[in-house]
Amino acid sequence: MEVLGNLFGGFATALQPVNIAFLFIGVTLGLVIGVLPGLGGTSGVAILLPISVVIARGDIAGANATTAVILLAGIYWGALFGGVITSILFNIPGEPWSVVLLFDGFPLAKRRGKPGLALTSSFLASFVGAFIATLLFTFFAQFVAEKALSFGPAELFAVFVLSFATLVGLGAESPFKALAMLATGLLLAAVGFDTISGSQRLIPLVGVENDALRSFQINLLSGIGEILASAEEQGIGYMEKISARLGFSDLLEALAALRQRIRLVVSNSIIGFLFGVLPGHGATAASFLGYGLARQYAKNKQDFGKGEISGIMGPQATADAAGVASLVPMVTLGVPGSPTSAVIMAGLFVWGLQPGPLLFTEHKDFVWGLIASIYLGHLLTFVICLLAVPLLAMIMRVPYAIITPFIVVISVIGSYSLNNSMLDVTWTILFGLVGYWLRKMHYPLAPLVVALVLGDSTERELRKSLIAGSGNLGFFFSTPLASLLMFLAVVVILIPIVRVVIARVRRTPVPVAPDAD
Amino acid sequence: MRPYQVGTAAAIVLIAAVAMFDSRRVLSPAPGTAPGDVGSAWYPFWAAAVVAFGAAVAGYQALTRPQPKEGVFAGAGSVAAVAKLVIPMLLYAVSFAWLGFYLATGVYMGFFAAYIGRYKPWWSLASAVLTPLAIYLLFEVGFRLILPRSIFYPGIPF
Repeated sequence: MEVLGNLFGGFATALQPVNIAFLFIGVTLGLVIGVLPGLGGTSGVAILLPISVVIARGDIAGANATTAVILLAGIYWGALFGGVITSILFNIPGEPWSVVLLFDGFPLAKRRGKPGLALTSSFLASFVGAFIATLLFTFFAQFVAEKALSFGPAELFAVFVLSFATLVGLGAESPFKALAMLATGLLLAAVGFDTISGSQRLIPLVGVENDALRSFQINLLSGIGEILASAEEQGIGYMEKISARLGFSDLLEALAALRQRIRLVVSNSIIGFLFGVLPGHGATAASFLGYGLARQYAKNKQDFGKGEISGIMGPQATADAAGVASLVPMVTLGVPGSPTSAVIMAGLFVWGLQPGPLLFTEHKDFVWGLIASIYLGHLLTFVICLLAVPLLAMIMRVPYAIITPFIVVISVIGSYSLNNSMLDVTWTILFGLVGYWLRKMHYPLAPLVVALVLGDSTERELRKSLIAGSGNLGFFFSTPLASLLMFLAVVVILIPIVRVVIARVRRTPVPVAPDAD
Repeated sequence: MRPYQVGTAAAIVLIAAVAMFDSRRVLSPAPGTAPGDVGSAWYPFWAAAVVAFGAAVAGYQALTRPQPKEGVFAGAGSVAAVAKLVIPMLLYAVSFAWLGFYLATGVYMGFFAAYIGRYKPWWSLASAVLTPLAIYLLFEVGFRLILPRSIFYPGIPF
């Protein structure tokens, strides 16, 4: 089979010493980032994104763009696992997607005195979820990419509109704030030179011309913003501590628990994959969906919230599967599946690659190397987690007064290294402060980041459609697929309005979905 | 919380209005270069219009709907915690141009360890020296990334 041949080729790329070394660095950094409550996976990837440019341009022997994407994706995989440790041992979620583990992970560790089992069950479910999702990725991505190659501007524009609609319609506390942030991303993406006519736009207002540079600055916005938010919360709250060492007996017990729940884990992994493929969402929303499904179909609902292993395995499998799946639309359609993959996609642009279906034909080594590295990255993360939980838990004890300025220093180096410019450093700090303030005012940053990355492509396909249709708006509905996608986008946009109407009829508060990660 | 929400929305509307003004050539009769093309100003103009619309509605909702009684910060402690981070960060960014990366980073790390962490002097000194050294080895030696030197360079080697 062609796919298996490509996958073996991918393993040959991913197993090169330099790639393995950066995969190890990536997952280790991701685990550290995941353990630290003040820094999320998206920010971790964003902070190291500029450094990946240095790697991608081949300054290190044997390294190239594949090495850079393996590093960044490795951070994501590590962070997906790492947040678990603090949720279960300290009752503090290291990542947004591990909040759900507070419901059953911490009770299993503390009340039932089984921290090792709680951790091992979680790692095992994450590994199985990611493995199933990667299998689906392997066998379906090329098919989707081949189909996507036949997309015209109307279909592509409809895909982008659907992505934006899901961000506004499904993901935020206030759809109007999400809309404002989304359009801000589109506006910032328009700064610079128009790709069709070449004329200047908005440059005197902003003072910079380099689109890629600005992308980094906006991405870094979330990094510094998180540090400030974390600083504000230092000292607030009480930290519960449980020490844990994982033994072979924990692994055997978790394997037995997995065998009893294999249908739940497999079905949640597949659902997580399908959910993660939807543009604009990611592991956080998937983890809550996974918990809800696990509880919904459990016979022992009364045990949930008291340390039920299904309440750990269900959401973990879903979250990790969604995390892996979020890369599928990036490589097949050029649309990020989550804010973290949006940051990785920004990297692809700067490394000189065009995300989308052409990657499968023009940069085969890159795509299949990435896919193979997902298998390796999760295996590596799983093994590190089993062996080094006490060590990872100790990271929580590294003092705030060391970690916080160090993250600022790394952010500053990252922004400076792009163009050796002090102006970039100023922008990074400024955007960090703006991002912090927007976060406090409950303006979601995920739509901004995704729109910033997709802004250029959206405008290009929009204008190509208008030119192809000689200005006739009916061109956007000229094919069944484009019409279907546009229809779905309208439905998704209407969801918040319908929710408000239903809530008013029932006189109940409108439910708030968690922010996408 | 209400004044801050309304103020933030107003600031966003203002920025959007400036961007719309900058893209006003969208109103010209023939903005594009080809039949059907809307021209280079169309996209930023309407993106800014949507920004203004979204922020204006968010601001209106903040004015007319009940808002949480607590302020933006949980208390004076939260303000102080953020200020302790922001002020040194700004000074670090400003001093970067004169002190260069290594001296500025050393001072910044040492200050944080001594003032925020309340570490003993030798631990603060260790943080101030070891962090720039580690960064030098990683970035200048490993990644061959030349970071800015101080105004004292080449009198001192950094």
